[in-house]
Amino acid sequence: MPKSIPVDPQAFQRAGELSFPRIPLHAYDRPFATELAARGTKQMVDILRHMMLVREFETMLGSFKAKGAYADISYVYKGPAHLSLGQEGAAVGAALALEPADHIFGSHRSHGEFIAKGLSAIAQLPAAELRQIMEQHRGGALLRMVEAQLPATTVTSTAENVLLFGLLAEIFMKADGFNGGMGGSMHAFFTPFGAYPNNAIVGASAGIATGAALRKKLANEASITVSMSGDGSTGCGPVFEAMNFAAMAQYGTLWTDARKGGLPVLFFFSNNFYAMGGQTIGETMGWDRLSRIAAAVNPQAMHAETVDGTNPLAVADAVARKRTLLLDGKGPALLDVECYRSGGHSTTDANAYRTREELALWEAHDPIAKFAAQLVAAGVMNQQDVDAMTAAVAASIAAVTRAAAAAAAVDVPADPTLIGRLMFSHEEIAVPTGEVKLLAAPDAAARIRQDAKKARHGIGPDGQRLSAMRAITYRDGLFEAILHHMMHDERLIAYGEECREWGGAFGVYRGLSDILPYDRLFNSPISEAAIVATAVGHALEGGRTLIELMYGDFIGRAGDEIFNQMAKWQAMSAGILKLPVVLRCSVGSKYGAQHSQDWTALVAHIPGLKVLYPATPHDAKGLMASALSSEDPVVFFESQRLYDTVEIFKPDGVPPDYYRIPMGEPDVKREGKHATVLTIGPSLYPALAAAQELEEAHGLSLEVIDARSLVPFNYDPVIRSIAKTGHLLVVTEASERGSFAMTLAANLTRFAFGSLKSAPRVLGSPNWIVPGAEMETSYFPQADDIIEIVTSQFHPDTHSNRRGIRNWDDRDLARKGL
Amino acid sequence: MSTDVVMPQLGNEITEAQIDYWSKSPGDKVEKGEMLLTITTPKLTMEIEAPASGTLREIRVPADEIASVGDVLAVIDQA
Ligand SMILES: Cc1ncc(C[n+]2csc(CCOP(=O)(O)OP(=O)(O)O)c2C)c(N)n1
Repeated sequence: MPKSIPVDPQAFQRAGELSFPRIPLHAYDRPFATELAARGTKQMVDILRHMMLVREFETMLGSFKAKGAYADISYVYKGPAHLSLGQEGAAVGAALALEPADHIFGSHRSHGEFIAKGLSAIAQLPAAELRQIMEQHRGGALLRMVEAQLPATTVTSTAENVLLFGLLAEIFMKADGFNGGMGGSMHAFFTPFGAYPNNAIVGASAGIATGAALRKKLANEASITVSMSGDGSTGCGPVFEAMNFAAMAQYGTLWTDARKGGLPVLFFFSNNFYAMGGQTIGETMGWDRLSRIAAAVNPQAMHAETVDGTNPLAVADAVARKRTLLLDGKGPALLDVECYRSGGHSTTDANAYRTREELALWEAHDPIAKFAAQLVAAGVMNQQDVDAMTAAVAASIAAVTRAAAAAAAVDVPADPTLIGRLMFSHEEIAVPTGEVKLLAAPDAAARIRQDAKKARHGIGPDGQRLSAMRAITYRDGLFEAILHHMMHDERLIAYGEECREWGGAFGVYRGLSDILPYDRLFNSPISEAAIVATAVGHALEGGRTLIELMYGDFIGRAGDEIFNQMAKWQAMSAGILKLPVVLRCSVGSKYGAQHSQDWTALVAHIPGLKVLYPATPHDAKGLMASALSSEDPVVFFESQRLYDTVEIFKPDGVPPDYYRIPMGEPDVKREGKHATVLTIGPSLYPALAAAQELEEAHGLSLEVIDARSLVPFNYDPVIRSIAKTGHLLVVTEASERGSFAMTLAANLTRFAFGSLKSAPRVLGSPNWIVPGAEMETSYFPQADDIIEIVTSQFHPDTHSNRRGIRNWDDRDLARKGL
Repeated sequence: MSTDVVMPQLGNEITEAQIDYWSKSPGDKVEKGEMLLTITTPKLTMEIEAPASGTLREIRVPADEIASVGDVLAVIDQA
């Protein structure tokens, strides 16, 4: 069904000029007395106290880094300390305008934002709810610890202690930290207070916060998400991708009913004018004021403003106004919050990039000194009160520090695989049975009617191979599993480039757009980084996400998002966060070097990702069902050459009903006794052809095992097979060097050494570019290459003639970098 | 005079396609270039236009059936 957004040349070819909305700079001018009257004394005094707590907390960290001591406490802190000294007004101002259910996603410099958000949530949450939150976190273990170490008289002060202790213990990588010591300074989170994970990768939170906002919109939550990053992050492509993803016009033009309207995400830039030593204005960026970038994103210029980050009230005012717009479906929004980092980027910063004069100029704009002076001038406090508050804050930070420094470390030697166990939960959801909103009944899609008439098995009554039009294919197997989950689990959404009318670049989703509304299946921009980052954010917030990268070769465009975000958040949160994301990547063919490489090894190398690569329709369907049921992130590779393949292994073909195949189980596709051939992905088919010929020509039987899954992987069936055959050949289409096949061969050499009669071999693609379609058979392993290895190396007594074209010398090639 | 509506060549690997639906019935008037039917291959769905103006005389391959490249799908009588 084509979209009804006509592209009319007449409308486009009219002469005119573009105008941009005005972007206000420092427009805040509310008198202090007015704020005081509106907010009341308690809140105004709290603003000062919260800024002081942030400053003292970070002063303590800085002191440990500089001297190994703070107050009378000695401690060696080895990790990072990106302090926000001088930027407290931005953090506390933003938090003031946010509700506990609003979620912030910070950066490497986010201790202040984290503390401020926590303090703001504590100030807003009723005592009973606060208590419940603390009781529920790790069964109340942290609460008990804090109550014993840091006695307090009210639930509020206990909660503040939990907040500061949980964060500091985390920074010190202690077991009692909010992330169980698996995150540290740049990754702390505590979701009940709305502090979602901070991120050590500059700008990475932008896409994650955008995906989180998508989930909030889909779940009809009346709250927002905030991406918090620095001015330097505006140089990051993924930040632009995220802002555009958040601003896609389709939310207004094509999404309907309650889902209509922009994403509730605020891009909050703490603009301290520097990115480490690079100066954004005048040196590394093209913009003169950060807020200008919003004009490039949408006609509303993201309602952008530049505000004074040294004044928490100006920041709170702006955030509150943007929040109202976002809840009204007018998102996304952008704030350029100008502030100044009075300390170094980190504690090893020599400050070579700025002058003393500049530092002195900004001293007059210190947010804490300024705000304290205003409170004194307004008669709310006197100087003694301010001094007393400063001392009280220092005392509570010292108490928290003493307790955190003494807290137990994570004892890995006592439990060597402890961190390993946090990589995956291995949990699966039940088979989904819910009802979802449909545009039309499933059989409105010709695809579904058509598939219903197809044979389930790929071999016809006369033994002939059926065509892709007449029997269920690999593509259809994937579709059936996906259809079940999409039809019965409202939390699951699917998107990627060309996923809707086109049905995904290779038609796996064809027909789905006839029955599913835009908010369940949509076309994304050509933004691989944002596709993956938003999927992560959507999943962190309780959604489930199925995303597609057209070609595995585009993984590079989403490198950080796949390798650092999707892979690591489960473990970095000590297993508290779940990441049900399935990333589908097709492995290409025929389009040459940048569209045909098998990158499975790259993904399998990164801890934290499950990696599947089925080769048959039956396995594609069963493994896709498992992937979509998994609470762990899965990268699902599909071979473009196999999409039209029909089922030839299972006698009953592809079962029409829903079923799952456990991840990690290799499958014996053909039994034999003269050599074990373990294949990854489409290499199964040349292996079968080789087995057929070897059987007929030499009476040699190959045992062909299809790996199906790279991570996890159960070695047992292969070890059993080698015990029988004595020989192992691993075949992959990936370039041999550093491939997963090499890992399999190395491990199996160790695990099955006693059974091996010859050195195991790996047959992969050579270590050069994938050539064009005309030369592909010279590149990907062919049946001839397999026959050659089996006859010349495993069974030389066959005295066969040379086969294949691989007559090169691997050692010589290696010397030449090949 | 009559004109055959023929299943087009859809790329060098595709030999068959399925008829999704006919937008016209036998006896209907058709204009050259007007959408006549939708077909589906394993990967994509596409529309086929009437190759000539006239009256749709007969449909040889009904909806949900599979046809091969070159098959006559329908016949148009030209006025
Ligand atoms: C992708 C990435 N590139 C580089 C770094 C190293 N790095 C850490 S902080 C930083 C500067 C960031 O500047 P900005 O976004 O302005 O934030 P600020 O440090 O000023 O708060 C750099 C380059 C990183 N962590 N991630």
